Amino acid sequence: MDFAWDEKHVAFRTQVREFLRANLPDDWEHLAHGPASEAQTKFSKEFCAKLGKAGLLVPHWPAAWGGRDADPWTGFILAEEMWCVGEPRGGQYMNVNWIGPILMRYGTPEQQQRYIPPMARGESLWCQGFSEPEAGSDLASLRTRAERIGDVYRINGQKIWTSYAGAADTCYLLARTGEGKSGVSIFLVPMDTPGIEVRDIPSLIGEGDIHEVFFDDVEVPASARLGGEGEGWTIVRAALQLERVGIPRFALAQRMLERAVSILKTRGQARESETAAARARAACEVARLYSHQIIDQRSRGLPTGPEASAARYATVMCERIVGEFVVEHCPDALADGDPLLRAHHQRAIVAGIASGAAEIQLNLIATEMLGLPREPR
Amino acid sequence: MDFTLTADQTTLATALEGLIAPFKDMPVNFRGFALASDSLEAQLAEAEFFDIATTEGLGPVSAALTVERLARLPFACEAALSMLVRPFLPGGPWERPIAVVEQGRPGRFVAQAKTLVLVDGEKVSVARVTPEDVESVESIYAYPMGRLKKEVRGEALSSSEAVRVRRWLRVAMAAEAAGLMQAALDSTVDHLRVRKQFGRPLGSFQALRHRMAECAVLTGGARWLALKAASTESEADAALAAFQAQESATRLTYELHQMLGAMGMTLEHPLHLWTYRLKALLGELGGRAGNAREVARHAFSA
Repeated sequence: MDFAWDEKHVAFRTQVREFLRANLPDDWEHLAHGPASEAQTKFSKEFCAKLGKAGLLVPHWPAAWGGRDADPWTGFILAEEMWCVGEPRGGQYMNVNWIGPILMRYGTPEQQQRYIPPMARGESLWCQGFSEPEAGSDLASLRTRAERIGDVYRINGQKIWTSYAGAADTCYLLARTGEGKSGVSIFLVPMDTPGIEVRDIPSLIGEGDIHEVFFDDVEVPASARLGGEGEGWTIVRAALQLERVGIPRFALAQRMLERAVSILKTRGQARESETAAARARAACEVARLYSHQIIDQRSRGLPTGPEASAARYATVMCERIVGEFVVEHCPDALADGDPLLRAHHQRAIVAGIASGAAEIQLNLIATEMLGLPREPR
Repeated sequence: MDFTLTADQTTLATALEGLIAPFKDMPVNFRGFALASDSLEAQLAEAEFFDIATTEGLGPVSAALTVERLARLPFACEAALSMLVRPFLPGGPWERPIAVVEQGRPGRFVAQAKTLVLVDGEKVSVARVTPEDVESVESIYAYPMGRLKKEVRGEALSSSEAVRVRRWLRVAMAAEAAGLMQAALDSTVDHLRVRKQFGRPLGSFQALRHRMAECAVLTGGARWLALKAASTESEADAALAAFQAQESATRLTYELHQMLGAMGMTLEHPLHLWTYRLKALLGELGGRAGNAREVARHAFSA
């Protein structure tokens, strides 16, 4: 057991920080305000292309797919440094974290050739068509249907709360081809396919983030299906394993906490908030250690257990506690104050909801970690 | 970064499990608070467990792991200070058991101690004591508690030595608290699995499951912080570990007693052994406010 970083990881972190110093514009923190705003989406495409050229977009991917076979720690350090400054990759972090790796594992050679190289060059933006009006935490009850007609699937249904849908090129879509969990399939659907309509949902999270997506007789070739028919649930579970400990939210939370404390110090008000600041700082460290434990497991090729849910829950708590600290002690952050404090607040409030409600994680911890009996259904 | 045990740590853990096997259950007829075992301490000393922080191939993380494991036993023993503080006390050699007297208050193992660490704010001194200097105190804290009968003079530490000793005191307290929380949690889980109300196990009610899951996350988090603090030897990490141990223990002691209902009020169930030890730790080293000040000093120094 050792909590010190390897030299190669320290050097990689330094390299990423230097890249960020050289490539983030002076007004970046104002841009970061809308995670999927038009301005940030445009910036992110240019930024990811530069990252790709510098070998810093997908270093942890196999060399065959544009990476350099670096370990999972490298991918996570990259994610920490990116998220820490407000995620200049925008929605492309999803490509890097899980969509690319899932396509490498389950995609056909044709799907891989079509979609992975643009991801590795920083050119594509995806959205995930998971939640529906009647299927949120109970995702398996989704209703969007994909009907096989000869060589095509005809898709009808509705997705909601879909991040980045307004600007995405492709949707990673869950649709029903049969009944129950074994009747769920995944389709890779170009967003310019006729019959897709996207509506923006104004939200607390920031400009352009969440959407409704309607599928009205959308036809895709059978070759757009990822994995076998009915294999969707298995693939989604693999994706969620990667996504559950995907965003290192504690990195930005800690930086924003430090910024808030620094502001309080200049105002001579830091002493009154010491206990609250310690609580928030400890919550960040707990989330970091739980997350690092999962990355350690990944780097050893070990399956991740219920600790991933603990990591996720600890991360949600750190976002909550830091968010509350800022609102209580630096209330001007949300009223024309520090733009990144506000951007952080808007990202933090969704931490316990996006990619599965925190309460689902608590259920998993209760059952799988503590061995408590399940609630009867 | 390596979150797994080394081969040496695995060997140590296996040896420890063998040693503590006879001490894993509260004696059937015990109905009290300060359950301790001289035999356990003697065996730990005999097997040189108190020296592992300075043993090559082991070190402070191994000591913290051992302290955490021992704290899960129903038997209290003075291990944390001997394993994580004594090796780093200047001067010496200092005989164990070790105890802390903070601002003259009663403390854990003070009546058994041969060495006292006297803490008064940021000032620290170390004193050799004899049984004539100390006395036992009746308490519900589930540790043998004691106090000084008269003022003793210790060797005052320099400010840098005091900082270092206070850091190890924080690590020791955090590691002990992590083990106590885990044991308290485990004993509560056992109850929720078997106790039925409204026709089904209590542990199947989501209102309780979620609170237990939160307790589990807090417990595991406190453990990681303590182990990291033992590893990095950083003031900030030690302060964070101590703060979070007390913060989490405050929540757990309430939640776990709620889960056990009246059963947790009895001395027949061992829960109180761990929760009342945790309560003894809540006020140590300045409590949450004092540890928060240390966090402010070291983790927000930029």
